[in-house]
Amino acid sequence: MIFIHEVHKVVGKCADRFEDAYRDGWMPMLAKGSDVRLLWYFDLAHGSGLAYRAVTITAVEDGASWARLADRLASGDLQQWARHLDGLQHESIGRIMTPLQWSPSLPPLADIPTGQVEHEPTMYMEDTMWPFPGKIRDYIEAAGNIYRHSLGTEGAKVQMHIELALQTLPGAGRSPEVTLMQKLSSLPRLITLLTSDIPPEVTGPGSWMHEALELRDQWRSKLLRTAVWSPLQ
Amino acid sequence: MLFMHETHKVIGRHASAFEDLYRNEWMSAVARNEDTRLVWYLNHAMGSGPAYQVVTITAMASGSAWEELTRRMLDGDLSGLADRLESCRYEVEGKLVRPVYWSALQEVDLTSIPTDGREHDLSVYMQDTGWPDAPLDEYIELWDHEYWRYMREIPEEKKLLDIQACFQIAHGSGIRPEAILLQKIMNFSTLGNLLTSVEKHDPTTWPGTYMAKGLEVRDQWESKLLRTSSWSPLW
Repeated sequence: MIFIHEVHKVVGKCADRFEDAYRDGWMPMLAKGSDVRLLWYFDLAHGSGLAYRAVTITAVEDGASWARLADRLASGDLQQWARHLDGLQHESIGRIMTPLQWSPSLPPLADIPTGQVEHEPTMYMEDTMWPFPGKIRDYIEAAGNIYRHSLGTEGAKVQMHIELALQTLPGAGRSPEVTLMQKLSSLPRLITLLTSDIPPEVTGPGSWMHEALELRDQWRSKLLRTAVWSPLQ
Repeated sequence: MLFMHETHKVIGRHASAFEDLYRNEWMSAVARNEDTRLVWYLNHAMGSGPAYQVVTITAMASGSAWEELTRRMLDGDLSGLADRLESCRYEVEGKLVRPVYWSALQEVDLTSIPTDGREHDLSVYMQDTGWPDAPLDEYIELWDHEYWRYMREIPEEKKLLDIQACFQIAHGSGIRPEAILLQKIMNFSTLGNLLTSVEKHDPTTWPGTYMAKGLEVRDQWESKLLRTSSWSPLW
């Protein structure tokens, strides 16, 4: 399975219509086939970054399925939908990604909901890292062996767990690049993280924060909130 | 047919090693799969933009061929070479592109693409990337009706550009809306005139021209002057 990750710069006054286009258009239209599904629809939480940004993640079975989807959007049955969406967003920036070897698995595409079932919104912290030249394999291994396990410990600064760990595929975005989709399970801990200095024991020698600086020192976090109808929460 | 368009931000002191790897190892290694070929290797002309940037374009028969190439690079026979290339650059920005309906280039006969590094003269291309504020389809249609058809009628001796290909981004692999013109420069002195001309392209005094009509769908684009290497398979 491969994943299409898109960040949409939405026209503010069209924000509701943009979301409708995904909920009432994209999600059910994809559900008519078996090899493509919308997984997540997120809004970037206002107050934490750029305004009117939506993030969508769509899963496709393989490269052939992705190429068929691209054909449908360029000149097939989804062309009109794409043209409609062009009027509702300033632009979208997409990349195509593959799961890291240690990434948790998602349900099969056939089990992804396609109806409009509503849930409580869920918060995610999406972290995107850019390892130093030649260091991506070391970074992926260290993140799997050290960082992933540290999230589940009692003393973790933020209570969250990795739902999906991805790497941008060659030719379909920036490289080297890794993105972690992390589901938050405690809002108070997040607020503490945001409003407190990071203690020395978290950043000192021997810590992940310290040692991982040999592999990368640039990343970006986004706080994303699922839409109530997002297929995955 | 799909094309993998990559812009490499090369580490300056490794620029020669990067090109040598592409020429002597990568080009033939990629071609071990008959569905994939490196077709262009282009240096961003110094003096016209960022330093040490290289653009490569790889042709692939299908989405499956692209997926196979990524597997070879991540875990297969190309992984060692991919790692060596990665250590010669800061980063690479890739996008998958497909020819628009009117593009002169639609298919490439992959079996005809050389992989032996044979040398030839250099060519220079003007790559224009545009980002419309209208629906993408309208921009592509404007290029067809107002630019491509006009450019084809210019006599050979007066021609500055030959539009060899026009691409749009294949879904999810880059920016939408975005489209790309790959134009071979046919006359360097005409290029000199273009760069040094003080003629004002005031749209209000050019009613009905492409420059004026173009402003109805976009006012942002970027031109890059790209020079082929002496061994680039297409040039």
